[in-house]
Amino acid sequence: MADWQELSEALADYTVSCNGNERLRRMQRDWSRILHFVCSDTDQTFTMDVDHGEIIGVREGHVGVPDIVVTTSSETFCDMFWGDLNPVQKYLRGEIVVKGSQEDVMRLDAISYVIWPES
Amino acid sequence: MGDREGQPTITLRRSVGTATATATSAGLAFAAIDYLGVVSILAYAPGATAAFAILIGGLVVILVSAIFSELNGLYPTAAGIRLYLSRAIGNRTALSVTFTYMTTVVLVIAADAFLIGAAVRHVLNEPAVLAYVWIAVLLGVALAANLRGVRIAGWVQTVVTYTVLSGTSILSVVALFHVGGAFRRPFDLFGGGTFSGIQAVAFALFLYAAFEWVTTTAEEARTPKVITRALFVAPALIWIVASIFALALSHLVGYSTLHNSAYPQLLLGHAALGTVGELWMLALTVLTALNTFNGGFLVASRFIYAAAREGNLPRQFARLNLNAVPWLAVTVLAVTSAAVAAVVFATGQWLLLVSVGAAIECAIYAVGSYCLLILRSRVDRKRPFRLIAGRPLAAFGVVLFSVLFLATAFADPKNSRHFSVAPFTVIAVLGAISTAYVMLIVPKLQRAAAARTAASRPRRRPTRPTSTEAVNATDGSDTDAGEG
Repeated sequence: MADWQELSEALADYTVSCNGNERLRRMQRDWSRILHFVCSDTDQTFTMDVDHGEIIGVREGHVGVPDIVVTTSSETFCDMFWGDLNPVQKYLRGEIVVKGSQEDVMRLDAISYVIWPES
Repeated sequence: MGDREGQPTITLRRSVGTATATATSAGLAFAAIDYLGVVSILAYAPGATAAFAILIGGLVVILVSAIFSELNGLYPTAAGIRLYLSRAIGNRTALSVTFTYMTTVVLVIAADAFLIGAAVRHVLNEPAVLAYVWIAVLLGVALAANLRGVRIAGWVQTVVTYTVLSGTSILSVVALFHVGGAFRRPFDLFGGGTFSGIQAVAFALFLYAAFEWVTTTAEEARTPKVITRALFVAPALIWIVASIFALALSHLVGYSTLHNSAYPQLLLGHAALGTVGELWMLALTVLTALNTFNGGFLVASRFIYAAAREGNLPRQFARLNLNAVPWLAVTVLAVTSAAVAAVVFATGQWLLLVSVGAAIECAIYAVGSYCLLILRSRVDRKRPFRLIAGRPLAAFGVVLFSVLFLATAFADPKNSRHFSVAPFTVIAVLGAISTAYVMLIVPKLQRAAAARTAASRPRRRPTRPTSTEAVNATDGSDTDAGEG
């Protein structure tokens, strides 16, 4: 199980990688969403705000009405935000559960794919 | 997620309600090819008996609705049947079946492009060869819109679906006024040969085909029951519309005219209201393309993207353009559909597409029933919908849909007294290609992907000491300090 400290480090790295990727920012230029995350093993929750493809904040707890809700284990979240796993594989095995439109689910995966194409 | 394991329901900013989900389900099912599907039913169930076959088909579809409702309740995900299958019968078989299933999307897109092209050419009274120009234009527009990331808003899709359904019904009712209430041969289910009744019901199932794809929107449904309601209401709508259309068609247009035509709906429109009726039905036919192309391209291209990301297709298929669209997947879909439409155009075998589509759908319903049978004994999770007498009904579904698969796979839709191996051959070739690909190519792709990942970069996540290591480290430093 990963604690909030570990998750925060992973999220900080993810945010830097995402916001620093020019191609990704252009691709997600029309994508503004509120994402809620739920760690199924620790009940830890957090919120990510994305504005025109830029991650503008990550906060503990759930804030606002979400466009997407992602649920999986804290370890999977850490690996995902560090780019050490392929989210689609976990998703297709039912280990990552998502609520949201298909388009948003694909956009979320696209972030990992563009930043870490070999993951 | 609350739908699963009794957790609270989550409210999303944008979610799909019952009306939209029902429209999505009915819109996916009711394509231009359904008008031809009715002609296929008439080959086996002449006159008003076609409506009787559609009714029986509708009753059978209730079982499909119940089975997919329970499966969707267990795994409410866009991965849908891919996940049910992999949990029930293993990943490789799941992949083979899903690849074959996805070919129906290409067939439906190709068939709709061909049928709409043929209908437009007919109304404009152009030379036959221009039909292919219209097909190319339609697919070109669909390709360009998809590559630019243009999405039809949910409400537009809903309006389009209900317009097509109500428009077809109104014209059919008007047509029925021409003939009064005297329906000819209402219960002549076995008039076309010994197996004609079974084949008529199997083709009637084709009218409802793809309604179950609404399960791919489960993740955006307002509540889990939304998908369940859509799975039961959409077939009812299709039953009403298809029945009235079949009754009107069988009464106003002779079968000898119908079975050589790619646009029976235009013939009915003309017979009922002259040129106005013909234009009316042409407009509805073109509208069906919005749903077919939007839904078909979206479902299939996202499936290809996910398969490529998973390592089951060459990774080039996951490449995204600046509109976040998997451009190669969309382009290959459009080109393949254009090629299939060209073959149909050249051979005139459009009814073969109906037979192949109907048979694959029956096979998928049999597979879905089998999944439920297996998952009932493996998964004891709470689900929002549970089929009463699920195991015996699922077993019954396996047998019933297997029989209906055989009935359509060996049918000759132009002659009810003949059998044809053509539909089965097409399905066998598609299935063999899918299976060979999964057995021979996919392992190589996955090995190559694993090697690439290992070679490209080390694991990024910092390694943290386990609790035992942390304690040992602390003990060690104390000892060292003591010794010093």
